[in-house]
Amino acid sequence: MQLAWSPEDEAFRVELIEFLDAHTPEQMHTGYDFQDVHDEHDLVPPWLRQWQATLFDHGWMVPGYPPELGGRNCSPVQTLIYLETLASRRLLRSGHFPGYAIVAPSLLEFGNEAQKQLVPAAIRGDTIWCIGMSEPDAGSDLAGLQTRAELRDDHFVVNGQKVWTSYAMIAQKCFCYVRTDPTLPKHKGISLLILDVDSPGIDIRPLRHINGTAGFAEVFFTDVVVPRENLVGGLNGGWAITQGSLAHERAGLWVEGVARFEQTVEGLVQLARAQGRADDPIVRRKIAEGYELAASLRALGYKGFASFAQGSSAPEHSYMKMAMSEASKAAFELGMEIAGPLAPVTDPRLSAATSRFVYGFFMSFANTIAGGSSEIQRNIIAQRVLGLPRA
Amino acid sequence: MDFSLTPDQELLRETARKVLERECPPALVRAHIDDAAAYAPLWRHLSEFTPLGAGPATDLCLFLAETGYAAAPGPFLATALFAALTGGDGNAIGTVALVDDPTMRFVLETDRVERIAFVTPGPGLAVVDADAVTARFVATVDFSRRLFEVEVPQLDARPLAPAEYAHWRDRAHACMAAEMVGTARRIFDMSLSYAKARKQFDVPIGSFQAIQHKLADMSLALERATAAVQYAAMTVDAGDRDRTRAGHVAKAAAGEAARRILKDGIQIHGGIGYTWEHDLHLFLRRATADEYLLGTRGWHLDQLAAALIDG
Repeated sequence: MQLAWSPEDEAFRVELIEFLDAHTPEQMHTGYDFQDVHDEHDLVPPWLRQWQATLFDHGWMVPGYPPELGGRNCSPVQTLIYLETLASRRLLRSGHFPGYAIVAPSLLEFGNEAQKQLVPAAIRGDTIWCIGMSEPDAGSDLAGLQTRAELRDDHFVVNGQKVWTSYAMIAQKCFCYVRTDPTLPKHKGISLLILDVDSPGIDIRPLRHINGTAGFAEVFFTDVVVPRENLVGGLNGGWAITQGSLAHERAGLWVEGVARFEQTVEGLVQLARAQGRADDPIVRRKIAEGYELAASLRALGYKGFASFAQGSSAPEHSYMKMAMSEASKAAFELGMEIAGPLAPVTDPRLSAATSRFVYGFFMSFANTIAGGSSEIQRNIIAQRVLGLPRA
Repeated sequence: MDFSLTPDQELLRETARKVLERECPPALVRAHIDDAAAYAPLWRHLSEFTPLGAGPATDLCLFLAETGYAAAPGPFLATALFAALTGGDGNAIGTVALVDDPTMRFVLETDRVERIAFVTPGPGLAVVDADAVTARFVATVDFSRRLFEVEVPQLDARPLAPAEYAHWRDRAHACMAAEMVGTARRIFDMSLSYAKARKQFDVPIGSFQAIQHKLADMSLALERATAAVQYAAMTVDAGDRDRTRAGHVAKAAAGEAARRILKDGIQIHGGIGYTWEHDLHLFLRRATADEYLLGTRGWHLDQLAAALIDG
């Protein structure tokens, strides 16, 4: 156990910092621990698209990948250094995570040679992807999905509906889980298809979030024709890929999540001072609790990384999403408590220092639901980490 | 930040587990309730490891997690704290008395040590023979530790550099937290095993979501406290500037983990967990009392708040 990485790894950090100093766009330095996007076209503004392409072209988009995939073949430790450096500088890599974080690793693992050709554009952000998972009757019970794909000779015909599909309004392609055999047990009749979002028969209806901002959509499929070669992995082999793609999502998110949470706690300190509550013993203890939680979760993340880097499965990652999403909700609540009567105020004349907390509070509801609700996370920890029997 | 254990650390932890499992069964902890001498056979083994007290905090904390897991009686922790303060090689059996310090009103294990290091306000340091000090045993709910009220003798204290004392405290917070997290892990393991074995309504109670979610929350608290202790130990060994905050975080996280786990652990055990006959209370007692040694969770949070808000 030791605090410092090797000299080679620290040199990697220096090289990264030099790149970031030279290339980080000015527009990056806006809100980071919450997002305030009111227009779906703002989801991926041009400067952010350009930034992702720049990262890719310099081998800094997914540094563990080879140069042709936007990386530089760096080690897992260096990837961690990369993520912590970005997080400490509040830098996003991209305005849309599904392509580089879920589609790319899934295609590299499960796709055929033709499908792997889609990976560079997914990572560079030239193609925007959405993920078709949840349905009105398949939320936490994802395996209950009913969107039907019938195989007819050389193509599938897709009918059904997805919901809560992030980025569907701006995506070119959809990574879509469908039922290809309704006679099999539910986990065994699911396949994964690649859909072009502009295919005839796809209808996208944006859904606004509770805070009024744009975000996700309903996607309806009516007799959508999909070439058979767009099947990823085997027919009825989709469930294994869902497990893989969610794992990709969770493995990389903790560094950024912890950094955002730490920055929220720093924001609470500033708010308490500004609002004259810095001497309130209850406020002080609650802020300290937030700090204690953030610091211990950061340590837990690194500890999980150590076992991951040594090839063991890392149950620590299962804890991180649940803990951080609930902790940040509590931190935003504390910000509202400190703000007092200003907490719900959105009038810009009065709320410059305080509205981020109520917006963050509203946003935080998404984080305890999306990507597997906190209740499902607890089931996963109980059953897969602790070995308790299923009901 | 590399949390991987070295092969030597893996070996140390395995050795500690084996020794304590063999030499400190719950029967010994129970015997210690009425017979203070019951610790002697265990101490013959543990005393071989006291030089760890003079070594890296990372190694020491791995060992302390196991003494906590076993609720081991004896002056191992006291001696480790003594060695770090007095700079010895760890072979002198000692304890530390903090004069007029609200986080440590009583002194550990004074009747089992050769030397007592007094830290006086200032701070100053004086080391005296234990025989020369009058100490009264103070009964607590925890039968596995022995606490004493000590009459502070006339002391010829030398000045102790405030930074040196602060560094010792950081290390002491990590050590105390390490033992406490070890005890919490014991209660957690007992509760998890019980949830898998105990059947009601014809199924293991651990298949019920109400129990599963309790155990998931307990395990999160445990794992983050474990990581916080290891991080604190690493910062102490590196002399890192984050070490003071890390020590506060470790003891506060240990307090949260222990309190949650002991409460929910007894709840999961149901009626049997409330009996004298069951071993659970031996660890419940240790974990409850540890909260009040070297600062409660609330005290450590207040120190953090001062550093964050006033610092």
